[in-house]
Amino acid sequence: MDNNAKSPFSAIKVVECGEGIAAAFGAKMLADVGAEVIKVEAPGGDLARRRGPFPGDQADPEKSGIFIYLNTNKRGVVADLTRPEGRDLLGKLLADADVLIHNVPPSERAARGLDSATLCAAYPKLIVTSISIFGDTGPYANWHGYDLTVSNAGGWAYLSPGASPYPDKPPLKCFGSQGDFQGGVHAATVILAAYMHRLKTGKGHAIDVSEQECIAAMLEMNLMHWTYAHRETSRLGSRLLGPWFIADCADGKIFALAVEEEQWKRLVELMGNPEWASDELFKDRIARGQNQDALKALMGEWLSQWKVQDLYREAQKRRIPFAPINTMRDLYESEHLAAREFFVPLDQPGVGIVNLPGMPSKYGRTTWSLRRPAPRLGQHSEEVFCGEYGVGRDRLSELHKAGVA
Amino acid sequence: MLDFTWAWAGPFCTMQLAHLGAEVIRVETTARPACVTRLIPPFADDIPGPNRAGYFNQYNQGKRAITLNLTKPEAIEIACALVKQVDIVADNYAAGVMDKLGLGYDKLRSIKSDIIMASLSGYGQTGPYKGFVGYGPPASAAAGMFYGTGYEGGDPGEIGVSYPDPNAGIFGAFAIMAALTHRALTGEGQYIDQSQLETALVLMPEGLLQYELAKREPERQGNHDVVMAPHECYKAAGDDEKWVSIAVGTEDEWRALCGAIGQPQLAGDARFKTAAMRKKNETELDQIITAWTKTRDRWDATRILQAAGIAAFPSMGNKDLAEDPHLTERGYLVQLEHPEIGKRIHAGIPWKMSGTPCAVRKAAPLRGADTEEVLKSMLGLTLDRIEQLRKTEVLI
Repeated sequence: MDNNAKSPFSAIKVVECGEGIAAAFGAKMLADVGAEVIKVEAPGGDLARRRGPFPGDQADPEKSGIFIYLNTNKRGVVADLTRPEGRDLLGKLLADADVLIHNVPPSERAARGLDSATLCAAYPKLIVTSISIFGDTGPYANWHGYDLTVSNAGGWAYLSPGASPYPDKPPLKCFGSQGDFQGGVHAATVILAAYMHRLKTGKGHAIDVSEQECIAAMLEMNLMHWTYAHRETSRLGSRLLGPWFIADCADGKIFALAVEEEQWKRLVELMGNPEWASDELFKDRIARGQNQDALKALMGEWLSQWKVQDLYREAQKRRIPFAPINTMRDLYESEHLAAREFFVPLDQPGVGIVNLPGMPSKYGRTTWSLRRPAPRLGQHSEEVFCGEYGVGRDRLSELHKAGVA
Repeated sequence: MLDFTWAWAGPFCTMQLAHLGAEVIRVETTARPACVTRLIPPFADDIPGPNRAGYFNQYNQGKRAITLNLTKPEAIEIACALVKQVDIVADNYAAGVMDKLGLGYDKLRSIKSDIIMASLSGYGQTGPYKGFVGYGPPASAAAGMFYGTGYEGGDPGEIGVSYPDPNAGIFGAFAIMAALTHRALTGEGQYIDQSQLETALVLMPEGLLQYELAKREPERQGNHDVVMAPHECYKAAGDDEKWVSIAVGTEDEWRALCGAIGQPQLAGDARFKTAAMRKKNETELDQIITAWTKTRDRWDATRILQAAGIAAFPSMGNKDLAEDPHLTERGYLVQLEHPEIGKRIHAGIPWKMSGTPCAVRKAAPLRGADTEEVLKSMLGLTLDRIEQLRKTEVLI
């Protein structure tokens, strides 16, 4: 099973106390390139186990799609960190770990033995990494939040869906759990920087990642519209440039975009040089943005005659950046993703083969692999605690009875 | 790091490395549209100018900038000479462009055997769509983000920002850090082929796996959650831009919410007794909560609910962010002196590291600000030679 022996990253030992997505995804980024990750779950299990999606929509904590995706390549143990015996078990793991990553909120850390300053003092070589909604400091540090909170606190929802004609409809969150994923990938990036630093100096770090700040840094020119030109942005209004809209084709929807003048010229050619295209209303990309409703109506009939994939190819052949509004099925059936072997089959016990989204970056040398299925709750408690950290089997059994492990 | 990136994804990537302390040398030229972000508003005080663009100045903080006209053979020679002295090269051109310029990975590796090269393209360097044009918004469409996003019962929606761009950037930064770690442990360099589409797809497991495991496409549900309710952005007092997000994930939070909005009896209401019931009856629930929020200032509502331990927060606009006391106190908002536009607020580093002085070190560079210094100090070029290269349009 374990073909990880060659990976230089197998030298990096990570302990993850993740609930849900953020810390688990950060640890997954490291695990997938070869780091040895031990995931510590509370006796009730990571809440990702309860969120699904599930095979055939039948809820089962050992079959959650999001849990499987986030926790392949990890070994799983159980310890109740709210109890001293559980914190002792964590202490054993941390004594020879390189990295700790968690997303326990600041207000709950002390009770779980996860206070950064205390851990850094106790384990001076450890890279202690916390991901939280608002960061570890500042007036909102102890405020509560979920991914919806991040998308609003970071300023993203305020801009979305963009050019909306519906002032009575609320700011809109993007699909999924993007704030949590960003917390994870940012944390993983900084952990490697801290690890490089430690290779040189032998010293650990406390890393504090704020999801609010991750999102606020990803909003293109949003902040500068205010700080440079005193203009407030909005989810309402019109597009700056056009064409820029979602349109119906014969068999699905396409995103029609042509933001450079050259792209527009080639698009007009592809449309067969209709007369209206030379109208004053559409004279440049800004006019086409302002008069987008008229443009959309005029382009509509032409667009509706195409099949999505045909138009996508013909447009791209002319370097016009159209893209289909892909469904999940479209993505699983994509010939391009198949050629790049993006989806990776994993045999998950009890579930069977699951084709998981695969590697975000293709490495020439570093081995990215899914080499181990996601752990059952507590699957490796005995192997890890007894086999590797000197906890007696009787003691583990006692802890198990007491509900700690 | 020698940075050939342009637009947004690439500069966002290399900025992360600059944030972490790398010496990033940004290569620009006026001979190609590589400086597009210098040409797009907002400009400082609405006065256009290549050094006044917020877009460029935000995403190139902490870097140096040289001009190098890559259409000239001498410029390629200079680039190759610089490669000999750097650890990392990054680009985000379409597949094949760096090869055509004479700066492909095989060439760079022949110059410096352990070079790390990261190419961030729209669709990757291989596969039938490898040459396709990738921008952030169509990448969101291609990755299924538009399909999954939208108001309940409505059409697929846009997602407000060109999210796959900075997302490709941060994944590129991770990949480069992984390659640097790999090199530190083994001595080997490597090439990284990154597809913007694929970096967006790894953020879509909830949708993709619902199809894979249950053969169902995700349903558009606005701000609602598959499990949690209430989970919505509610109208607050004031204009169309004033909203407050509220999410409840546990029974304790639900009871606290009922109390905080002055309706403790709701906690025992049969319609809302369990998480599943609240989800089922969330339309009624949303109406009850809206009746409470819509007469209240979004910050007042937030403070009342947070005091009760409930996840609530205003939907933040750009002015709100720029003036936010929390972001200010954390030192996130960065204002460094810029030679042409003075001090402006920029988004800074979204993490803190205790053991290193992790900070934005300088404002974004003026166009070509460091050409002379870099060519002198790294390549030993004389001022006369530099002047001559300027005249022959190699350094423009």
